[in-house]
Amino acid sequence: MIQRYRASAGVMLAPAVTLIGIFILLPMLLTVWLSFQDWSTQTPFSSASFIGLDNFREIFGASSVGRDFKVALINTAIYTALSVILILPLSVAFGLMVYQHDVAGGTALRTVLFSTYMVPMIAVALVWSKLYSPSEGPLNQMLGLIGIGPQPFLSSPGSALVSIVFLNVWQQVGYFTVLAIAGLTQIPGSLYEAAKLDGANRFEQFRFITLPLMRRTLLFSAVIAIINAVQVFEPVALITQGGPVGSTNVLTYHIRRVGIERAQGGLGSAMAVMLMLSLIVVVCALFALANRKDQE
Amino acid sequence: MSFAWTSKLALAAGLAILPATAWAQSVNISYLTHWSPETVALLEAAAKDYAKTNPDVSVTVRAVPFGDLLTTLRSQGGGSDGPTIGGIYDLWLPELARDKLVAPAPDAVASEVKASWPAGITSAASVGGTLYGIPNEIDVYALNYNKALFKQAGIAAPPKTWDEFKDAAKKLTNKEAGQQGFGMINSWAAGVVHPFASLLVSNGGELVKDGKPALDSPQATQTFQLYEDLIKSGASVPAMATADANTTGPFLDNFVSGKTGMIIMANWWESALKTGMGKKFADIATVPIPVGPSGDKPHSISYSWMTVVNANAGAAEQKAAWDFLAWLNNPKSGKNGASAMSDILMSMGILPSRLSDIDAHKNKLGSEFLSGYVSVLTDAKPFPVVPGGQEFSESLQQTIEALQYGQVSAKDAQATAQADATSILERAAK
Repeated sequence: MIQRYRASAGVMLAPAVTLIGIFILLPMLLTVWLSFQDWSTQTPFSSASFIGLDNFREIFGASSVGRDFKVALINTAIYTALSVILILPLSVAFGLMVYQHDVAGGTALRTVLFSTYMVPMIAVALVWSKLYSPSEGPLNQMLGLIGIGPQPFLSSPGSALVSIVFLNVWQQVGYFTVLAIAGLTQIPGSLYEAAKLDGANRFEQFRFITLPLMRRTLLFSAVIAIINAVQVFEPVALITQGGPVGSTNVLTYHIRRVGIERAQGGLGSAMAVMLMLSLIVVVCALFALANRKDQE
Repeated sequence: MSFAWTSKLALAAGLAILPATAWAQSVNISYLTHWSPETVALLEAAAKDYAKTNPDVSVTVRAVPFGDLLTTLRSQGGGSDGPTIGGIYDLWLPELARDKLVAPAPDAVASEVKASWPAGITSAASVGGTLYGIPNEIDVYALNYNKALFKQAGIAAPPKTWDEFKDAAKKLTNKEAGQQGFGMINSWAAGVVHPFASLLVSNGGELVKDGKPALDSPQATQTFQLYEDLIKSGASVPAMATADANTTGPFLDNFVSGKTGMIIMANWWESALKTGMGKKFADIATVPIPVGPSGDKPHSISYSWMTVVNANAGAAEQKAAWDFLAWLNNPKSGKNGASAMSDILMSMGILPSRLSDIDAHKNKLGSEFLSGYVSVLTDAKPFPVVPGGQEFSESLQQTIEALQYGQVSAKDAQATAQADATSILERAAK
């Protein structure tokens, strides 16, 4: 009986497992294999030659290849950290605002917030590049009205990456607000009523009921926000081209430049493997932290 | 044989022949470019003219931003379904030829090119003596300056030497009005490197000599120092220098709106200036690159573009592509003895490179803006076309930008640039 059950389970799982194997695991394994090869993306895989860890030595070395990779890795980490730090609290704050039953216009606000997520990135990039324009940009004109001089935004290595982060936060916060609202709906109203009877104020209700019970939602949001942020590509390709001085050169854009534009497939694969490993480490650390909190 | 049988046999024979005939006659080729929609429309019109005498060949034009052109060629050119024809920058040719993405020109095309184009341009379209593309445009750098701003600043004549150049840049700078004397460019490799290289060659230096980087020369030291001086004095503001993926952006906006006094740029941006400035375009003039303390006379950097054919396209497509390109660049396809390609190029202010085209367009090439470029062509030095050239350019771009933003000194920038270039060119040559 158990054997028949196992066989039928295997048959039912086979299509999904095969598809995952072909379209997810195989490309990942191929990328790992290529990271140990000297290979031009314009030649067949058969032309690849094994060079051990040379690609990894190169990307962490002192040459321009290593320097550019390390800058791109740090830029990606900063972009991801800032995006998550801004998106999560904002999404909870907006979620609380929209979820209040006694506030009029909650549905309209929810629609407005989510609409930014539906706008194609090409449109967002075009509009924001003009908003940030140092000469005729509306942001600088508004700052001028309150006596603040023109800001360089995308034209300065000190502010270009942060400017791209704001663009990302603006576009993504609506989606994460919807996730936050979904988390809020899971919290029983009776807990708040009991807390009120015990004399808890709004802040205490938020601190001791809302936040702890939203932990799973926030963990999911954080993981998705990290994955989205690490994959940033369009605003960099459309607006800054990685500049100025490589300050917005993120890993996906850099891998495209190395692996496709320069056809250095082995180096590009080594960079992609490092990106994948970094992502796995961060996400695992996040889950481990959440599990430890649960156990406490 | 009855009439019914004869009809059936004829119909069967017709049906049998029809697919083969259609297959033999209908060839679809595609042309990948980075040109603007207006220029693409001109190319499409030329393709329609070609179709009048070649109804069996259909040409479709695809345009991508300049920043995506090489990536598109590399990612799609490896298959037979990729673009049949591509417009490419000569710096990309050695590696595209090495990776067998571009096809050698047929003998007839190669002979025609060698007989009708200057030898230097033909060599830039060749690798190891084999011609791979039909050259079409040549771009050269010169100093553009705003005559109205010069007049306001009390500068009588455009600068001829670096000392005069620095002096003019200082006088043109007005921080309160948000005005800079000399506009650099950043976030775009060629936009950063070509003006720097033009100043370097006008100071008697070179980027690459005998296949090896020459950025450790005393002439290069002076050029890096010039950049540092311009930045430190405030005569050039890096925040006003950003470019975007379409090679436009703040650096262009600042020049067309009269916030930048001088800039070193190529002839092809005439159409962008005209669009941005309208009647004020008359304020812009072109002169040779100022001569540095170690230079003998004005020099600048030139580079060329060419059209190549996808080596992985089918034989019929490749044949049709070369035939179309030969027609497009033939003196009979355009107006008044010019080729259709040169008419398209001249609509953008781009200098054609075929000798007969230069002659056919001599009136327009004599305009105040373009004549300044034509005058420097003779002494222009081609940008070095070497394996690894694109990576070398991007690396030098990063170093120059770091210098622009004050992240490194001129001395450190020079040392980094030379070390990076050596490592990149050595690796690419393996």
